[in-house]
Amino acid sequence: MLRGVLDLCLLAVVDDEPAYGYEMTKRLRARGLATVGEGSIYPLLARLEREGLVATYRAASDGGPPRKYYRASPLGRRELAEGARAWREVRAGVDSVLSSTDAEVET
Amino acid sequence: VSAFVEECRREWKRLGVPELLAEEMATDLEADLAEAREDGVAAEEILGESDPRRFAASWASERGLVPDPPPGRERRRRWPWVVGAIVGVWVLLAGGGALFTGVGGGEGSAGTIRTLVVPPIPATRAVPRLVGMKAARASAIARASGFEVRRVYVRPHGARAGTVVTQRPRSGVRARRGTTMTLRIARRRR
Repeated sequence: MLRGVLDLCLLAVVDDEPAYGYEMTKRLRARGLATVGEGSIYPLLARLEREGLVATYRAASDGGPPRKYYRASPLGRRELAEGARAWREVRAGVDSVLSSTDAEVET
Repeated sequence: VSAFVEECRREWKRLGVPELLAEEMATDLEADLAEAREDGVAAEEILGESDPRRFAASWASERGLVPDPPPGRERRRRWPWVVGAIVGVWVLLAGGGALFTGVGGGEGSAGTIRTLVVPPIPATRAVPRLVGMKAARASAIARASGFEVRRVYVRPHGARAGTVVTQRPRSGVRARRGTTMTLRIARRRR
């Protein structure tokens, strides 16, 4: 379920401030999104880079070895805006479908 | 964990990923894993899976560093050259025949050595620009270029209904044959 949306979340966390791979995982977790069970972010980052949605550069990290930093490109920001809109539409639709059910988890 | 990265290195080498790029990926991965370990985060959360070969292959392939998925690669590469060789031999024989029987075309054609180069079918194709086109036309062009098509209907926002608003991958880049192009199409106003 999260697979396609994860691209979008990755774009979102490097929209304001560039980050390297693990930093992105940390930002996702800090915002309440655990990536466990969703596969690795590296192939997704590679695809975003290839499609020109993120720009990359190498720089020293705080007290660590040089890292590959990612940030959203202008094209990526547009994709993000569009994707976020599409996601809200889907979410609204799913919410309204699910709100009509009275099934509940038995505790 | 370092064994995992080593396996990745081996797999990238096997797949023909340029050494510099493979080393870059391995170093980044090692640095990220080391940092995660300090934070007490399981390597599994970073790697997403336990099979280093599959992990390495999918990363390299998404970066565009692997020409084609391994199973189809051999066959796809080989047969254009076989066809090329057959056509080449045929041309030489025909040329030689013309020389001996004197049935050459115009002046200078007899005795001229012609070479026919049959290029291998490229594994990647240039992505055409489809934005602004009617959906049907855009889809037809995408398929003719060797891509699959996925249409997503979006609010028109001023665009003409039924036309392509955005495309992914963008035009101008090269994408593997069979890649699914996502076309966002302006739907009709309700």
